[in-house]
Amino acid sequence: MDSRAPLIVLEGVSKSYGALPILKGVTLSLRPGTISILAGGNGSGKSTLMRIMAGLVRPDSGTVTRNIDPAGMGYMAHDTFLYPALTAMENLLFWARAAGILSPEARAREALSATGLARRAEERAGIFSRGMAQRLNLARLIMGDPRLILLDEPSTGLDVPSRSLLREIMTDFRSRGAAIAWISHDLEEDSGIADAVLTIRRKTLSIEERSRPC
Amino acid sequence: MLKCALAICRKDLTLILSRNAGIMQALLLGLLLVFLFSLSLNTGDALSPQAAASMFWLATAFCQVLIFNMLYASEELCGARSGLLLLPAPVQSVWLGKSLAGLLLIMAAQCVFIPAVFVFLGQHLADGFLPALAGIVLGDLGMAVSGSLFGALAAGRSGRESLLSIILFPLLVPLLLAGVRLASLGIDPDPLPGDPLRWIGLAAAFDAVFTAAGLLLFPFVYTGDES
Amino acid sequence: MNRSGTAAAALAGGLAFALCQWLVFVYAPEERVMGQAQKIFYFHLPLAWWGLVSFGVACAAGILHLVKRLPRHAQLADAAVEVGMVFCTLTLATGSIWARHSWGVWWTWDPRLTTALILWFIYAGYLALRSMPMPRARRASLCSAVAVAGFADVPLVFLSARLWRSIHPNVFAAQGGGLETEMAVTAAACVLAFGLVWLPLLIIRYRQTGQQERLDDVMLARMADEDDPTEENED
Repeated sequence: MDSRAPLIVLEGVSKSYGALPILKGVTLSLRPGTISILAGGNGSGKSTLMRIMAGLVRPDSGTVTRNIDPAGMGYMAHDTFLYPALTAMENLLFWARAAGILSPEARAREALSATGLARRAEERAGIFSRGMAQRLNLARLIMGDPRLILLDEPSTGLDVPSRSLLREIMTDFRSRGAAIAWISHDLEEDSGIADAVLTIRRKTLSIEERSRPC
Repeated sequence: MLKCALAICRKDLTLILSRNAGIMQALLLGLLLVFLFSLSLNTGDALSPQAAASMFWLATAFCQVLIFNMLYASEELCGARSGLLLLPAPVQSVWLGKSLAGLLLIMAAQCVFIPAVFVFLGQHLADGFLPALAGIVLGDLGMAVSGSLFGALAAGRSGRESLLSIILFPLLVPLLLAGVRLASLGIDPDPLPGDPLRWIGLAAAFDAVFTAAGLLLFPFVYTGDES
Repeated sequence: MNRSGTAAAALAGGLAFALCQWLVFVYAPEERVMGQAQKIFYFHLPLAWWGLVSFGVACAAGILHLVKRLPRHAQLADAAVEVGMVFCTLTLATGSIWARHSWGVWWTWDPRLTTALILWFIYAGYLALRSMPMPRARRASLCSAVAVAGFADVPLVFLSARLWRSIHPNVFAAQGGGLETEMAVTAAACVLAFGLVWLPLLIIRYRQTGQQERLDDVMLARMADEDDPTEENED
């Protein structure tokens, strides 16, 4: 397979809740080694589009094609997917085991040090600040070494260092050939690293490609 | 699928047994039911074996509702449900994992209820304890597979405990009848005539029907659609 | 079935009902032991049958909905459960009157009566679930799952209720075998007549549910139009 072939292709995807249309005929594709920022007002259907891409929500019509096996997809949302009563390490170990990742402990340790949480491994996730909890969530994503990454406003409410860590790690993933779709709350900062900005207006998508700033 | 289910079961047991007072609530509620029922006895009287067996299964059924509520509520706390749905394993692994965890927890709770039935309700062990044991195992299995399916259905709803009970209890009737009749064999020195094998068969049929229902219906019940 | 078909069925149902009154009170002989009270059997039996058929329809519609995800199958399941609940409630009431007259108690552990009561509880749970606030598509799949699992439980419920009582004298042993020809004819006619009432009820309720959802949709669309869709506010 061509290494530049899109990892996910959406064609004519529509979704409505009852009679309320959310998305109409959305077509997009994400290629390896790119970051696409999804923009649009509140309630414009960004999140729904992301959940459709992830396969959490089934579209009313249109097709979603993923050229990647489910283990190669990473999804990170505003929700942290953590169990507050478990320690950071236990949380990661659970997700690693459930996803069938090999040598879960080593991978969890790696991910914890990559997110700067190595010294907090035995602390319960429940006492973590929002920034730390979301970094732990990021560690969960890193463990799976995903090639298709979907970010649904993960940086909302994060402190500045955590936000730049997220950007750093995502550009690193991009350089290793991952396709990233990113809903950001913080367009001004995050669109700096974007290869494309997709904007949802009137329930459909307009795409603006950019040349990479670096 | 099995690996994933085992990971979920292990995580849930850690969550509930070591970090959560919830299991104590379930145990206490069951014990309290058995104890309160013993108040209906006059001093020195013993409860009829069938009534004692009914109390035992009633305590178990309440325990089951609380346990499966806990098991599914932990996923709603920080949105982990989406994470489970995105795991590279069939969704049914979640059902299987929660069934396993629920089965172990129900059995653990029964280790407390069984002595309570002997102590508070004045029962004695009788010859039919083998079919009674079979009834308990099959009954627990049925409670685990059905509780896991309908616990997912009630997850995230307001008033989920009562919703789960009113949907689950009528469906459990055949299993409860089998469980009560078989359990009463174990404590009745003068058992009612009748073939225990037919009750064991009925309980096994219930387990089979709800295992199939769990495998087939769970993906429709546990979804990522905004709820 | 179209509108005039439903109307014709309803009309036929009415006429058949009138005929049944004659059959029940004039044609069928009076039962020796029970006397007049036995006549309630001609209402009890068809109510129970069509109630059960209703829940079967709900189960089939539930399966169709889960497979095809069309809203109309969920609407059919809803309508079938509602009609089934009405029939089931009446089954319990008539059964209770029968029990009071023949055994002097309002309730007895008869397998059929017990099954009807447990069915009533199962589908009351369905209606409770349906009234919970949640998105329509989600509600439809949850309710369909309950309709399917509930109906799968019916044979088990009946078997267990029969096994539970099998050690006691079967009070109903005489009822099935000892039916005279006139009584059997009347009972069969009653089942048919109730079927002709049941079907239009189901169809009308099905149509109403569909119309209600369409009205809700129209209202939602209106509300969506009112907030200008071009206006996008970032917070």
